[in-house]
Order: sequence, then structure tokens, then C-alpha cells
Amino acid sequence: MSLIEIKNVSFSYNETKKAVNDVSFDVEQGSYVTVIGHNGSGKSTLAKLIAGLLPVKEGKILIDGKEVNEENISSMRTRLGIVFQNPDNQFIGSTVRDDIAFGLENKLVKSEDMDAIIDEYAKKVGLEAFLNYEPQNLSGGQKQRVAIAGILAMKPDIIIFDEATSMLDPKGKKEIKKLMYDLASGDDITIISITHDIEEVLQSDDCVVLNKGKLFMHDKPEEVFRNPEKLRQIELDVPFIEKVREAFAKHKIKLNADDLKGMVDELCRSSSKH
Amino acid sequence: MNNLVFGKYIPIDSLMHKLDPRAKLIGLFLMIAAVFVPKSWWVFLVIALVLTVALLFAKIGIKMIVQSFKPMIMMMIFLLVINSLTVKTGDVMFMIGGFAVYKDAVFNTLFVVVRLLLMISITTLLTATTNPLDLTLGIEWLLKPLEAVHFPAHEVAMMVSIALRFIPTIIEETMRIMNAQKSRGVDFENGRLSEKISAILSLIVPLFSVAFERAYELADAMEARGYVPGVKRTRYHVLKFSFRDFLFIFICVLILAFSIASRFYL
Repeated sequence: MSLIEIKNVSFSYNETKKAVNDVSFDVEQGSYVTVIGHNGSGKSTLAKLIAGLLPVKEGKILIDGKEVNEENISSMRTRLGIVFQNPDNQFIGSTVRDDIAFGLENKLVKSEDMDAIIDEYAKKVGLEAFLNYEPQNLSGGQKQRVAIAGILAMKPDIIIFDEATSMLDPKGKKEIKKLMYDLASGDDITIISITHDIEEVLQSDDCVVLNKGKLFMHDKPEEVFRNPEKLRQIELDVPFIEKVREAFAKHKIKLNADDLKGMVDELCRSSSKH
Repeated sequence: MNNLVFGKYIPIDSLMHKLDPRAKLIGLFLMIAAVFVPKSWWVFLVIALVLTVALLFAKIGIKMIVQSFKPMIMMMIFLLVINSLTVKTGDVMFMIGGFAVYKDAVFNTLFVVVRLLLMISITTLLTATTNPLDLTLGIEWLLKPLEAVHFPAHEVAMMVSIALRFIPTIIEETMRIMNAQKSRGVDFENGRLSEKISAILSLIVPLFSVAFERAYELADAMEARGYVPGVKRTRYHVLKFSFRDFLFIFICVLILAFSIASRFYL
């Protein structure tokens, strides 16, 4: 049994168009799944459906084999965290300390136990020196790290990243991605990341491609990118390495390596044979 | 925005800062009552002296208090004019263009003005020494009895603290939109009234639209982190009364008692 099962889920904001249209896929315990697709492909809607922020009216979402519905959504929420795109709009407390405490207050953690938990998770995201900072004195990347700490403190087993790096500068992006990879490397946290970052997709275990609300592809990232033509059909970008592979293929040179260094080796070997 | 003194918090460490916000709020109400009751100048003098001592304890300069009076000047002039027109008792003090100004008019006005200034000083003392968030916690505690009649005290406090948290963010946003509109040729400083109104509209409309967007996203973020309005939560900040808080309230009660007694014996 998979940790999350999404079965024939559809959702529409208005009657004319379905934002998510009959999507089904499974997410395994401890895996790192990326979701890509164009703006308006239904990625964020899907994330909100999984997080229980939108009601699932058509189809089913099961977590641990249990269907998520109105009654059990609040208990499901403690298992599931979501990091949003805009660093400012998810900072609820007046300081880093208060923001991490917000989720703990909702989880009815005793006030005398909170400081230890706050310290632990602030350290985990490298913000132990910033605990008394106010949001306006933090960078975007730091605010996203606070959001992650706030969610980790609630000990969820699923974290959804909804384009969590797209509003950050390159440095912040790098920091958050590193943190995500660290979390993904363990088995206890399952990550679903909605992203535009092709390099991040290559790091994930599984990739879901959405197009106009429908599931377009669901496979290992390498397999997804082996079909550059198919991705271009829906105007999605292809990683640099696949572009290189494609360019050589036009000259009837077939390269199989998965990274650039491997490709160079392959090329050198084949040219020394001639 | 920065020259506004009234209601501004001064983040330093002092004896007044250390007091429990609830004690300070109760003290505020007692002191304001004490300022309202008396009919004698002597009581005002005593209260002013006590306030000066409190300011010393709070490490707040007299300059800040004086600055906080500034917005009141217009109101004082208005009071004087109204009183001069209506009060016709006592001796004539002086004449302005054939219009007599009576002694009682001037003294009544001065009395009200001193009363107002004392109230402002007391309130400034509270807001300058209490972190807005602690103040919110204190107000929540005071409103707690109203929960019996289903008044959402905690939710109101949550709203106030989020509003406080977002003030700097919204100011930053306002500056950004203003600059964006300026770069598109909107002139906020010059022009006729109608032009100014349309310039302000070009600021207000995007500001509101973004604020609503923020509100929706924030609501999602709060919900995702398990917040359900009206459901019991634990609190990270727990207020604790200590001996000095009781002592502080006791002093305020004494002053109120003195002020009430003054009406009978002075």
C-alpha cells in the first residue's frame, strides 16, 4: 500500500473549466516526488487538494489507506505540512521564535516544552542565531527556512513544497534546495515538490507531469526526460544534459551516460576508436 | 511615519518594561480614572509628580512625552475658542476686538487641557514600555470574561497581532507600488485635486488587491498548520503576575483613592 493514493481526482473553481481533471497516482513512503507543468496546469490546485485546503469533491485521496474527508482533516493536518511560494505570506508570528511556536500552539504542546522544540528545529534549519528576529529583518531564503522549521516542529511525515524556491534569489534557492535534499535523503519524510526547476526534478525519485489539469506523464525523471519531443509538445523545458544528448543524436552519435562527465568520456572513447 | 510618537514602543530594558502587561493595563485604567475625578489643581500636581517618577523608572525622556502632545495643539485651541464663546462667568480677563474673554473660560480650558495632557502621558507611558504583542496578550486577558457571552477574545487578539506583524510588510509594499507608479509617470506630489485623487487611486487599488491576496494565502498557511478558529490552543507566551505587579497596581489604587478623597476634603 502506498502512503498517498490519489484516485481519479477532479476539481474545478468554476463550471466551465476543470483545474484538475481525473488525476490518479501513488506516492510511496519516504519518496521524493516532483510535480512539473505549466502555469495553470493544476499543480498548485493539486497541492491544495492533497493538503486538505480544498475539498475533494470528485475522486478520492487516501493517506495510509484512509480517505481524507471533512471529519478527519484536522487530524490528517498534523501529519502533513505545506511550504508555500511567498515567504512573507506564511510568516504568522512576530518573530522567528513565535512563528515556529504557532503550529505547536495549535498542536496543544505545553508551553514549557515549546522552547526546547523551537531550539531544536531552528538549529536544524541553521537559524538558531536568528530566533528573536522579526520577518522584515530576514531574507526570503531565511523566511522559507523558518516556514520549514515551523512545519518540521510539528513532526509531519509528508511535506509539500508549492514552488517554495521560485521567489528566492539564487543563494536562497540553493539553501532551500539543499535543505529539501537533506530531508528527502531520510526515509521518514515523504516530499512532494511542485517546481519549475528542472535540475531539482533530476534529484527526485519520481516525476509527475501535469498538462491542462490532466496527468501527462508519471515516471522516473530520467525516463520523463528521455522523451524531449513529448515535453516540447506541452512547451516544457528539457534539462541541459538531454539537449546535449539530442544534439549529438542528430549527428547519429548515441550517448547513454547520465551526466556530462560520462558523456565526455563516452565521446572520447568513441573518437579514439576511429 | 517615524516621527509619530504617540503609541510607539521604545525597546529598552527598564523596571516599567518588566511589569506584566496586564498590571500596566489595569494601572492605566486606574490612573485615567484618577485624572478624571478631581476638581483641584493640587491633585493634578501630585499625579504629575508620580508620573515623572514613573518616567524615570521607565527610562523615557521628558522630550518624548512633550512630543506626544503635538497632535493635541489644534484641539486645545479649538477648546479655548469654544469655551471663550460659551462661558460668561467670573471676571473679564481681557478683550479681543470688543469681545470679552472671561477668567472662568480660560481656567476651565486649562483644566481640561491639563487633564488631557496627563491622560496622553499615561497612555504614552504604557505604549512606550509595552511590546505591542504583550499588550495584545494583556488585552486578551482583560477581554477573557466576555468569552462567557461568546465574544471571541482569542481570535480578536490573534487578528490584532497579525495586523501588527504585517504593518512593516504593508508599508514596504506601499513604497514599492508608489515607486512603480512614479516610474510610470504618476505624480503624487503636484497637480490639481482631481489629479491627486487619481494618483492616490493608482496606489490604493493595487495595494488592496495585493492585501487580499496576502490574506487568502495567510489563511491557507494558518489552516495548513492546524489553526482552527474557536478551538482550544496552548500558548507559547504565558503571562505571570509577580510581587512587583501587585505593588504597582496597589500604588495606582492608592492614587485613585487619593484623587476620589480630594473631592470631599480639598
